[in-house]
Amino acid sequence: MSFRGVFITIFLGTAMVVAAFMLNARRPASVKAQPTAAFVRATGKCAECHRQETSAVVHEFEMSRHSAMGVNCLDCHQVTKGQKALDHRGFTIAKTLTAANCQTCHPTEYQQFLRSRHAAPAWAAVSGKEGFTAEQIAFSETFHKGAVDRPANPLVAREGFAAVNKGCLKCHEVGKPNEDGSIGSCTACHARHASSVELARTPETCGACHMGPDHSQIEIYHESKHGILFNAQKAHFNLAARPKELTTKDMPVPTCATCHMSGLEGLKVSHDVTERLSYWLFAANSEKRPTYTQGQVNMKETCLKCHTTPRIETFYKEAEAVVDSTNGIVKQADEIIKKLREEKLLTAEPFDEPIEYLYFDLWHYFGRTAKHGAFMGGADFVQWHGFYELNAKIVELKRSAEEIRQAAKVKDLTKGKTEGEDASKPTSKPTD
Amino acid sequence: MRPSQLRSRLTDSPLTDPVVLVELFALSNIAFLALDVGFAHLINTFAHPAEWVPVGFSLIAPIVLVAAMVIGGIHPTLANQGSGQRRIARYLGLSMGWGAIIVGIAGLLLHLRSAFFGEQTLANLVYTAPFVAPLSYTGIGFLLLLNRMVVATSLEWARWVVLLALGGFVGNFVLTLADHAQNGFFQPSEWIGVVASAWAVSSLCAVLIYPRDNPLLLMAAVMMVAQMGVGVLGAYFHVMADLRASAPRLVDRFLYGAPLFAPLLFADLAMLALVALWAVARSKASLVPDSPILIEAFTAK
Repeated sequence: MSFRGVFITIFLGTAMVVAAFMLNARRPASVKAQPTAAFVRATGKCAECHRQETSAVVHEFEMSRHSAMGVNCLDCHQVTKGQKALDHRGFTIAKTLTAANCQTCHPTEYQQFLRSRHAAPAWAAVSGKEGFTAEQIAFSETFHKGAVDRPANPLVAREGFAAVNKGCLKCHEVGKPNEDGSIGSCTACHARHASSVELARTPETCGACHMGPDHSQIEIYHESKHGILFNAQKAHFNLAARPKELTTKDMPVPTCATCHMSGLEGLKVSHDVTERLSYWLFAANSEKRPTYTQGQVNMKETCLKCHTTPRIETFYKEAEAVVDSTNGIVKQADEIIKKLREEKLLTAEPFDEPIEYLYFDLWHYFGRTAKHGAFMGGADFVQWHGFYELNAKIVELKRSAEEIRQAAKVKDLTKGKTEGEDASKPTSKPTD
Repeated sequence: MRPSQLRSRLTDSPLTDPVVLVELFALSNIAFLALDVGFAHLINTFAHPAEWVPVGFSLIAPIVLVAAMVIGGIHPTLANQGSGQRRIARYLGLSMGWGAIIVGIAGLLLHLRSAFFGEQTLANLVYTAPFVAPLSYTGIGFLLLLNRMVVATSLEWARWVVLLALGGFVGNFVLTLADHAQNGFFQPSEWIGVVASAWAVSSLCAVLIYPRDNPLLLMAAVMMVAQMGVGVLGAYFHVMADLRASAPRLVDRFLYGAPLFAPLLFADLAMLALVALWAVARSKASLVPDSPILIEAFTAK
């Protein structure tokens, strides 16, 4: 055997093996260091097919921090406790993703979310307690008395499945009870695949649901100084800053998330959006929350990042005066409806008489708008979309109540007259 | 029967003629690819119409090649050799050879197109469709052309077959490396195929450069026998991995799991290489160098 032949065989063979090892060693640890072979494959194999179909989700994922941190498709799509499995081209994945999948890595955020009105109370506000377990109801009732252990909204039966399914539930499913025992979906705010904190900090994300006449927060925000400054300067902001590292340099002007959730310069980050609230502003008559003092302290800490204490105190004092004033008008409306019911001039069925819609619009649209406007710096919403309408509606309501009473009197008189005429008529046929 | 008679009968048999064996290798491989490629493209549910092309070609080509054998005999016909039917057989064989080359190169480009041309990263090469795999058609195409363009008893022919077998093992090296990289070489045994194919390449390289070295030929032959063992072992590992997979349907476990036939390519190529090594040995014995380069190689030592 020639030395040249042996040399070539050994040198080339060894070189190829070494090259293969070196090439493999240069691959990122996030690709190789995975718990199973399926997780390694998922780092690239999923995208290979999904670039052809549903390619947008691949690009969305590639933009995400999850992607930058080496999270791969199977990390989120793997089956967790209570979920149905789906065999998908060599991978076993969860049939439906829920908050249960997110909470495997973000348990604190999920627990905070569970305590918020975004969780069970959001769904129950439309559908009632149906679908929740006794434990889930008990847990939620601890924080929001009567918000989950309640019947479905009376409008559900009146409007029907099509409207509720395509309308109400599209927002309220943020707190939907899932088959796997979890509640809600984090992607309502963070979006699927992008899983973006930036998106959650963008006002329009909250505004997708918190808009319109019944809770016009996004419109109020854009009228407020906060909104105007944000829209003018947002190009210079770092909305993607990490939650626990967010500073006023990243976001010198707040969005919804900044005031209600963010850990601005050391403040506690929270996914319980009720932690910094002091009133039940959504209610017809807004009372102080049981956590009124703590809620206000929490919110004022955030305010202090931009405003001085006297300014904040004045702001709260003025806003609370609006709450009191609104409550006064709503109580008048309550009284009118209550008396009509006592006089049996309204049926027991809700939303079957025009005055019920008038009353509902009064507090549900204009009462809420005035109060939210006051706490969010939206002057026009306090006045023209709030108090002006409240006053117009209370006048209408009084007039309407009066008309109902007049109509009832006329009806009674007519009925009495008819009965009198009937009584004077001969009871037997005349005979020839 | 005397040993000399037996040897004579064996050497005269078409089934011990390297060119016939290579021709049968090409024919059987191209036919088997219909099943292999069909199975592979089924994973993709034949999403692109072009995915049917290799399957169709693999179904038609063996029929054409068998027809060529019937018309022109089992030995491929060289240029200016024979006439009439043998010439038709030659053209049929050549057309299948060219067709296989085109299918292979087009397949390579189409496999790469899925992601690689967007970013040209190593990760794309790892997770793309197996981009080297279609070149198996090109290799077979070259064999079909070779059998019809070079004298089969010559050393040149034998060395070309060695080169093509070597090319196959290079492909095996790349495929094994890329496929097992998809798993992050989760099992250390996944390196066996990489190491084995690297040594197959190097030993065939040595033979290609020094075809007159008998011990080297023997070493390469031993290496090829070892490759057969690697192929069978790999198939066993793949089957076991698929059987242990979680998919409820058995067919899904094989369809989306470890490719069943891939390791057998080691054994397949080893057979081709053994024929090539035998042809090198035979051609040396006949001492009919037929090109200036080969004459130089023969007289170099």
